[in-house]
Amino acid sequence: MNASRLFGTALQYAFLGLAAFLSIFPFFWMLISASNTSIDIIGGKTSFGDAFATNVTNFFTQVDVPLVFWNSTKVAVLATVLTIVVSSLAGYGFEMFKSKARERVYSLVLLTLMIPFGALMIPLFMMMAKTGLINTHIAIMLPTIASAFIIFYFRQSTKAFPTELRDAAKVDGLKEWQIFFYIYMPVMRSTYAAAFVIVFMTNWNNYLWPLIVLQSNETKTITLVVSSLASAYYPDYGVVMIGTILATLPTLFVFFVMQRQFVQGMLGSVK
Amino acid sequence: MNKMILSRLAAGLFAGASLLASTAAFAGEVTVWCWDPNFNVAIMKEAAARYTAKHPETTFNIVDFAKADVEQKLQTGLSSGTTDALPDIVLIEDYGAQKYLQSFPGAFAELSSKIDFSGFAPYKVELMTLDGAVYGMPFDSGVTGLYYRKDYLEQAGFKPEDMQDLTWDRFIEIGKEVEAKTGKKMLGLDINDAGFIRILMQSAGGWYFDKDGNLSIADNAALKAALETTQKILQANVHKPSAGWTEWVNAFTSGDVATVTTGVWITGTVKAQADQSGKWGVAPIPKLSIEGAGHASNLGGSSWYVTANSAEKDEAIDFLNEVYAKDVDFYQKILADRGAVGSLLAARTGAAYSEADAFFGGEKVWQNFSDWLAKVPAVNYGVFTNEVDTAVTAHLPSLGQGANVDEVLKAIDSQAQGQIQ
Repeated sequence: MNASRLFGTALQYAFLGLAAFLSIFPFFWMLISASNTSIDIIGGKTSFGDAFATNVTNFFTQVDVPLVFWNSTKVAVLATVLTIVVSSLAGYGFEMFKSKARERVYSLVLLTLMIPFGALMIPLFMMMAKTGLINTHIAIMLPTIASAFIIFYFRQSTKAFPTELRDAAKVDGLKEWQIFFYIYMPVMRSTYAAAFVIVFMTNWNNYLWPLIVLQSNETKTITLVVSSLASAYYPDYGVVMIGTILATLPTLFVFFVMQRQFVQGMLGSVK
Repeated sequence: MNKMILSRLAAGLFAGASLLASTAAFAGEVTVWCWDPNFNVAIMKEAAARYTAKHPETTFNIVDFAKADVEQKLQTGLSSGTTDALPDIVLIEDYGAQKYLQSFPGAFAELSSKIDFSGFAPYKVELMTLDGAVYGMPFDSGVTGLYYRKDYLEQAGFKPEDMQDLTWDRFIEIGKEVEAKTGKKMLGLDINDAGFIRILMQSAGGWYFDKDGNLSIADNAALKAALETTQKILQANVHKPSAGWTEWVNAFTSGDVATVTTGVWITGTVKAQADQSGKWGVAPIPKLSIEGAGHASNLGGSSWYVTANSAEKDEAIDFLNEVYAKDVDFYQKILADRGAVGSLLAARTGAAYSEADAFFGGEKVWQNFSDWLAKVPAVNYGVFTNEVDTAVTAHLPSLGQGANVDEVLKAIDSQAQGQIQ
């Protein structure tokens, strides 16, 4: 009995250890590579080198870092805030207001999840070109704001929102928008936090659509810059790794800051 | 009398007006899309600076994206028909040129009436020609050479003269000697990359497609000879197998192999190993033993194209014509700074091309490459080179296991047929 329990625990730890190794190794490799020269990286060196400062200097001379980060941050933060406001309102509405057409409209919204982006790309591109939005950051944000997944996520979470709270607020004379902003939002803050993490990561790492829409060096986001650096005939992998680290940091930061709320939100907690 | 003055005045005014009009038309911003900040982008900036020096009213906006990204953007822009979202000049890899020209007729400006293409390497012009019209500006070449370690070969009893005018059979014999005497393999070979096959095939004037662009695999003598040669190399075991590009590069930078057969763009990587200075030589690549085979071939390369609906079309064409088709000094600069070998044959008359390279023991390697450049057989890269390449790559490993080459050809043929339908 004891021996088999020990074996079970050992197996558990072995599995967790393997999973941890698989998740951490790429980061570790990234850090090691950032401190080595391109030739050492190609040679498969697995220890820290002394080229970190050179790589950083090269990255900063090749890339207009403040501009690129400003572009990425602006797009990611604005798109995230807009997505969350619009999609949570929709999720709230779908759950709170009962009507005959409700489920049908909701199914239509969910159905859009099944259309691959590749199929939407060219029509979207034509729309943006006709409205003169090509090469603007607005063009990146607009198609992402009404996110079917986030609407779905908020509707599911709203099921846990006690309707008594809404009824009580109504009795106290609050209007619907007041209920939403003063009661619903604070109560659902874990849900918002989790949504924020998901949407921010998606927007920060967004690659294909910005690539299609952006046309100049001045509007490019960090993902496009790293991609361009990595596609040289002889890429300087050290510099590419610096770019990768800098591109990863904000999502890491957001995730660690909101980790607790993220887990709570995914579990569907209501404060 | 008065009439005459008046008419002269009018003529003068008209001339002035048209002069104004022509300068006004050439005051736009030329947008260029290309990849690789240290190569294409840097070279285009140099070209732009040269043009702006003479035409200050023209400005350039050179945007760098990854190669796959340029292709993705170009594809989206052309498919959507939103031509105002396209650049004025775009870089396209040579293997994909016909795909764009044939899939999007009328999308690129026809240049043969405005630019004299007779001074370029014929194979570069051929690959951008459709129905007799030329649509691009030939840019960097991947003319091939046989880079070899003089020191290893000398140990094995071979002099540089012995490396000239080789056949692949002789190359393998030498390889066996080299391994016996030095313990080094003759070449690095990545069995998951069809680049070597493409070099051999084109050296005999063949490609996956015939002159008319039809798929030609089963009865393709050049492809068959290329596969047979590769099989001989694999079976003679004179190669060092490498998994992927970096390992392949590592095989010669680390001194594990005695030769490299590839495009001239590898020169920079070879020369980056300063401690190997004086130990390398460059010879023409060995020849296949079939009719029409030669010592010149190509791997990779790309060219500039002007979009047909560009507002700055005439300006863009004038720019390409003035710099890329005429400026011999520009070609010296990009060779010296970036190791780029252009396709303009006259470039060889410049100083950088005439220089003896100490790294290669004082050989005039650039003159040699320039000679071979003119001799690269012109082939039709067709619309589906990349697709057929996948089919070829899939069947390369079976060559090493002793598969019958005719069977392999059949298998490639059927997979390629399926892939390009």
